[in-house]
Order: sequence, then structure tokens, then C-alpha cells
Amino acid sequence: MTPAERPLSPHLQIYKPQLTSVLSIVHRGTGLALSIGAVFIVAWLAAAAWSDAAFALAQEFWGSLIGQLFLLGWSFSFYFHLLNGIRHLAWDSGFGLDLKTTYATGWSVVVLSLLLAVATFAAGLALRGGA
Amino acid sequence: MSRDAVRHWRAERISALALIPLTLWFVVLILSHLGADRAQIQGWLGRPIPALLAAALVIVTFYHSALGVRVVIEDYVHAPARLRALLSLNVIASWLLALLALGAIATLVVAG
Repeated sequence: MTPAERPLSPHLQIYKPQLTSVLSIVHRGTGLALSIGAVFIVAWLAAAAWSDAAFALAQEFWGSLIGQLFLLGWSFSFYFHLLNGIRHLAWDSGFGLDLKTTYATGWSVVVLSLLLAVATFAAGLALRGGA
Repeated sequence: MSRDAVRHWRAERISALALIPLTLWFVVLILSHLGADRAQIQGWLGRPIPALLAAALVIVTFYHSALGVRVVIEDYVHAPARLRALLSLNVIASWLLALLALGAIATLVVAG
């Protein structure tokens, strides 16, 4: 049997990307990234608790270029999900729902999470250098 | 089902609120102890209050993560068998990781 020709609902790709929709999907993406990052933190914790060899390997990984890039991406994901999460909590309480405020808080979240990620990374490099 | 959705919504937000101070505490803790060796980590994470906060962080993190990942799976996976398998995997993996982390923290307390 051939399916009836019913109208389909519009697909995502016909919409022009807007700050609101982009930040919504980035919130989901950073949440997933943080869930994956949590696996690495547990591995690091387990290594610290149980094995010298595994701990040495973990420290080597975090010190490597890939490890450092991972940390930078992870701290951006952290600050973005944190700040945008607070934005969501405000919406849930009925605040900041008009278009102008939504855009203002949206751009603030983007700029602040980038700044905080870079600042945290720089603080890490400075503290590590001083240790 | 609708009551379950309300519970999910509320649980996601309460855990989000709890994660704000807990995660910030953890970031500061890690930043102020960069380059620590295993014995030093036992020293600062093996004490009662940091260990309790870390345990709370682990529990709330994996709870919040499991709630969020569940919605992502429900949104993108439609084949019933695969949906069920992935939803179970999400729950099992979250439990195992949380228990592993709690075991590691307990070991650090005993050793510290």
C-alpha cells in the first residue's frame, strides 16, 4: 500500500538559524559534552584512588596538546551550560521571556562563557607554572 | 505519563540548582591543586567535608546527566527496540559511573 500524500511538517533546515535556536541546540550539545567529560573525571578519580600507573597516564594525557584542547572545550561547555542553564531557570520562573531580553541574555551567555573559559584556562596555566 | 513528565521537569531543575555551587566549588578545587600527586589528592579530597561534597557532586551530576541524556535519546531515536536499549544503557552507565566514582572517593578517604 502506498502511503497517503499528507502534508509534512516543515523541516528544521528550511529555517534561518537564529540566536535563540542555535543556543538551544548548543545547550544540548554542551550538556552531552559534559556527560562525556564526566566519564573522564571518573576515570581520573579512579586512577587517583587505585593506580600509580593509571594516574601517571592520566596526568600525561591532561598535559598533552589533545588533553589541553579537551580541557579548553570542556571549560567552555561547562560555563555555557551553567550560564545558559541559569537563563533557562529564569525563564522557568517567568523572567526574561521578551524578545529583547532573550537576545541580550543570549549574547551575554556566549561572550561570558568564552571569557570565563579562556580566563580559567589561563589561570590553570599560571597556577601550574607557579607550582 | 504526564505526571512522570512533571517529575522529570522538576528533578532536572532541582538538580541543576544544586549543581551551580557544587560544580563551581569543584572547578576552584581542581584549579588550586593542579599538578598534585596521588598522595596530595588523598590529602585534600580524602578529608570528610571535601569528600562529602565530592560525593554529592557525583550523585547529582550523574542524576542530572541521566535525565538530560534520556531526553536526547527520546528525541532522536525512534525504533522501539533501539530506544529501549539506549534508555537502559543510559541508566546502567550512569549508575556504574556514579558508583565507581563514589568507590574511588571512599578509597581516598580511607587512604587519606
